[in-house]
Amino acid sequence: MAGRGGRGRGRSQMTFNVEAVGIGKGDSLPPSTLQPSPLFPPMEYKPVPLQTGEEVEYMLALKQELRGAMKNLPYYVKPAAPKKDVERYSDKYQMSGPIDNAIDWNPDWRRLPRELKIRVRKVRKERTTILIPKHKQRLPVDKEEAIKKLETLEKKEEEVTSEEEGEKEEEEEGKEEEEEEYDEEEHEEETDYIMSYFDNGEEFGADSDDNMDEAIY
Amino acid sequence: MTQAEIKLCSLLLQEHFGEIVEKIGTHLIKTGSQPLRVIANDTGMSLDQVKKALCVLIQHNLVTYQLQKRGFVEYEAPCSRVLRILRYPRYIYTAKTLYSDMGELIVEELLLNGKMTMSAAVRKVADRLTETMEDGKTMDYGEVSNTFVRLADTHFIQRCPMAPETTETSDAPPPPAPTLAVNEKDMYVVPNLNLIGKGKRSRSFDDEDNGEHKAKRQKQDADSKEPPPDDGIYWQANIDRFHQHFRDQAIVSAVANRMDQTSSEIVRTMLRMSEITTSSNAPYTQPLSSNEIFRSLPTGYNIVKQILDQYLTLLADDPLEFVGKSGDSGGGMYVINLHKALATLATATLESIVQERFGSRCARIFRLLLRKKHLEQKQVEDFAMIPAKEAKDMLYKMLSENFVSLQEIPKTPDHAPSRTFYLYTVNTLSSARMLLHRCYKSVANLIERRQYETKENKRLLEKSQRVEAILASMQATGAEEVQLQEIEEMITAPERQQLENLKRNVNKIDASENQVDETIFVLESYIESTVKKL
Repeated sequence: MAGRGGRGRGRSQMTFNVEAVGIGKGDSLPPSTLQPSPLFPPMEYKPVPLQTGEEVEYMLALKQELRGAMKNLPYYVKPAAPKKDVERYSDKYQMSGPIDNAIDWNPDWRRLPRELKIRVRKVRKERTTILIPKHKQRLPVDKEEAIKKLETLEKKEEEVTSEEEGEKEEEEEGKEEEEEEYDEEEHEEETDYIMSYFDNGEEFGADSDDNMDEAIY
Repeated sequence: MTQAEIKLCSLLLQEHFGEIVEKIGTHLIKTGSQPLRVIANDTGMSLDQVKKALCVLIQHNLVTYQLQKRGFVEYEAPCSRVLRILRYPRYIYTAKTLYSDMGELIVEELLLNGKMTMSAAVRKVADRLTETMEDGKTMDYGEVSNTFVRLADTHFIQRCPMAPETTETSDAPPPPAPTLAVNEKDMYVVPNLNLIGKGKRSRSFDDEDNGEHKAKRQKQDADSKEPPPDDGIYWQANIDRFHQHFRDQAIVSAVANRMDQTSSEIVRTMLRMSEITTSSNAPYTQPLSSNEIFRSLPTGYNIVKQILDQYLTLLADDPLEFVGKSGDSGGGMYVINLHKALATLATATLESIVQERFGSRCARIFRLLLRKKHLEQKQVEDFAMIPAKEAKDMLYKMLSENFVSLQEIPKTPDHAPSRTFYLYTVNTLSSARMLLHRCYKSVANLIERRQYETKENKRLLEKSQRVEAILASMQATGAEEVQLQEIEEMITAPERQQLENLKRNVNKIDASENQVDETIFVLESYIESTVKKL
């Protein structure tokens, strides 16, 4: 209480003798801070320059290469590509990402918990003639639609099972898909076009965007 | 697990594995052990994505799993292992200095893929080496295998814990998660493989054709291949051994700086002799007699026994106490005090930081406090020979940054401030922790700045990449000089300048990250050495 009365008259009182810490009588204290410290505080002493030398250069190159290499490995999980505005014809023949979020590489499943396996749904095309009609009935309708949309030409050998579905479906679909493996291979050879030749024309207009005077027909 | 650590981990994961893995990894680091569904719920991601990310993280030894008693599996991510990603270039470079290109590539492949079987690793490395060799030459698998065996013998790579052997027909359903067991004896035992073959050079088609052909070929191969003979035996890089090597390097160079080349060679010999016999977190090495050291000195060094003894005595008497004398048998038994050496290295780092940040007079006060442990305000001014006002100012600056702390010693039981001593002191352990935290924050800031710079110039970078691709393809098809020049001119001069600037900045930031990581290593080793193992 006695301390608070001294507000405004010289320095504020503290609970201990400030001389012990070295603040003598009449010394002015630095102004109290009323805001958080600045984001980029000014430095009194400039930092020492970085190390140079062969070793440093080599490690720098290693670091950058490592970063680049990891981006291309299958371990780099890219988020699913956003759906395009319009369904395009080229989607059917271009290789898109892995089906149904399955992984691109083959881990050793004996070392991983069983719950981590992801089911890969085999791609089904319009092959009503080949399929026995009762198979179609067993599939729920929404799966069929999803499958039709996600067509790729990648070969998927791994038939991984998941515990999500009912077990009956699992066994039957498993058997079906093993038979269909042959079908898919045949089907691939059906298309006469080599995939690398397919150009969807996206790169075409890139360079000529400079002159907007000419109308594009 | 401070905020700075978590932020740095998330940035590292994002750069190397993508956003999905980053989200899940960060969540696991923050919240500890969790089962699969809880992770999916809390992060709001689909179950498939979580599974994918967990597979990647487990493959790279960043996440471990445990089967709980109730029957579900919990996943855990230790923060410290994720931070090691920053040090990968240093591990690879060390392998290069010790075992040349083959060792470098083996360690690189192991780090990039997390774990691999020996046959897969040898094959990949041979292929990569064959690419760089001249036409017609290929790399033999045998040489690569030899390097692999040498790496295993010196413990730089080790076997991963093994999955249990599954019997052909088991009545009980398999457990939801295998329990991986670590077999201490076999950890460095190389399987007896007979790898015969040569590296394959990939054909020089376009990338797309190549990918297609390979994919088709692989399918046919996979159908006819049996599992490789060392199936199930996976190898990973032994990070602790690399750390031991860095620590030894730091000690040797410290001795070389303090004394001379010969004494550093002696210390290096002693450390080499105790590599395998001493565990990595022992406080000191096994005692070595002077005779043994004399016999193990490298053959180029022909110093007389008496000189060696003199050097050893000098080293043992040095106030830094890197080397200690533990007995007199065998010409004198000497040990290297590892923990003391680490403490000295950390203290030297602290001193240097204080000097660079506050000036040499502050550094003088700091060193004074380190030597005298506790000093009053008045004593500091007297001993450091610095006028009172400036000394006060410097002490408060260091106090506000937590390099120096105040210790109260009350004279009376009621702790009255007017009757209490206030002593300044330096607590190296807490200062080291504070600095380590700052280092993590610095690296996180550096990475963010680098990403920002790259993002700002994204358009320009893409354009330059496209131009390069066009140039490369035109050169391959044999275009004229004029056409090539035309294409090159698509990038204007100021844009070129901008690209140069960007490259220089990114390089500088990357080099800084590497350098901060060296400080992180010293501080982390010191802090780890002070933690008492139960």
